[in-house]
Amino acid sequence: MRRFIQGISIMIISGFYLFISSCTSETCFEVTESYIKANFYRYSTKKLTPPDSITAYGINMEASKIYDKNKKIQPAMLPLNASTDSSVIIIKINTDTDTIKFWYSSYPHLVSKECGYTYYHDIDSIFSTKHSIDSISEKNRSITTANGENIGIYY
Amino acid sequence: MGRISAYIINLLLALIICQGKVMAQDTIQFPLNIRLGMEASLPVIYLFQKTNLTFEGSLSADVNEKTAAAFHAGYTDYRYSQYNYEFRSNGMFFRTGVDFNLLKPKKTMGKYRAGIGLRYGLSHFNHEIPSITSENYWGTSGSSVPYRNDWAHFLELTPGARADIFRNISIGWTVSLRKLIYSGTGKDLKPVYIPGYGNNSKSFNLSVSYFVVWNFPYRKIRIIIKPEEPEEPAAAEENAANQGYGNREDGNF
Repeated sequence: MRRFIQGISIMIISGFYLFISSCTSETCFEVTESYIKANFYRYSTKKLTPPDSITAYGINMEASKIYDKNKKIQPAMLPLNASTDSSVIIIKINTDTDTIKFWYSSYPHLVSKECGYTYYHDIDSIFSTKHSIDSISEKNRSITTANGENIGIYY
Repeated sequence: MGRISAYIINLLLALIICQGKVMAQDTIQFPLNIRLGMEASLPVIYLFQKTNLTFEGSLSADVNEKTAAAFHAGYTDYRYSQYNYEFRSNGMFFRTGVDFNLLKPKKTMGKYRAGIGLRYGLSHFNHEIPSITSENYWGTSGSSVPYRNDWAHFLELTPGARADIFRNISIGWTVSLRKLIYSGTGKDLKPVYIPGYGNNSKSFNLSVSYFVVWNFPYRKIRIIIKPEEPEEPAAAEENAANQGYGNREDGNF
């Protein structure tokens, strides 16, 4: 009987230990920003081919570039403005500069208690000039923190 | 002749007494209890963290020596804020299910429990996100989500232990492994915290509860117990050697 009560005591003490150890640290480890994942394709071959050089920035934000003559970027990660329903990205692929305009809707999404909420987007439409870009294909209109191609840029 | 009769009568009496002893060893009177419990740790934690005020009570009734039906009810007022969002939720929650005691009835006599429980949980709650801010290349974006009312359903697996510390008063703990079945809120605007369920941003939710329980015996049942296997001679000798003396209660010494 004494051994039995000792066993029960151990269980209760272990419960207390469990309680103390259940206090988890509150650190955010997840990806919290959503981007348009844009893969580059050669129009002539239809094959994935990163450009030799990419420069990209938001309209009126030339001083703060997303990419600045970066080489062999694949995919390009293009952010959208959650406060507006459209974003304009200026993109220079190798030597020619184009403008891409995205129309979309935004909504908050819970990442985790530790990281909080981020904004996801649903793309409505895409418009681009055609200096270097031939066309843009829409693969997945849902812009989230998950990996996977959203658009293909044929140049 | 008189001496023979006395001898036979003594023998019969001894047999009856022995028979009685055998019967007493084969069955025991096991008390069934109704238990009224209160979760004791969360109000204490609230004094330090000020985020989660929860009161939870439980009512359970022994169905037999191994099984008890359980019902829990509680209320939570949860507030949380950090650099990029604020969140509030409050509401009632209920859990119902069964507890299984894995200990031997002869040893517990209703005073101890180590086992596992299964629960179905229901939460009726309000939740609100007064502010959300998110920063990216374009700057800071902000919004809020007004109060809304939802029902959440979840399942729970609860291993735990309980022991009497005073007459009719027990303390115990349970580990609760919870799986949300339905939150009613969709996959994006999930509430950070659901009363009764806990942190909603994980696939499974794990928590530990401490209960103080008042026991009210309401009935006794007679249960048949399996006689314990006699110890192996070698083990018995080893025990005797370890103890250094015989078992006086058994009259071996």
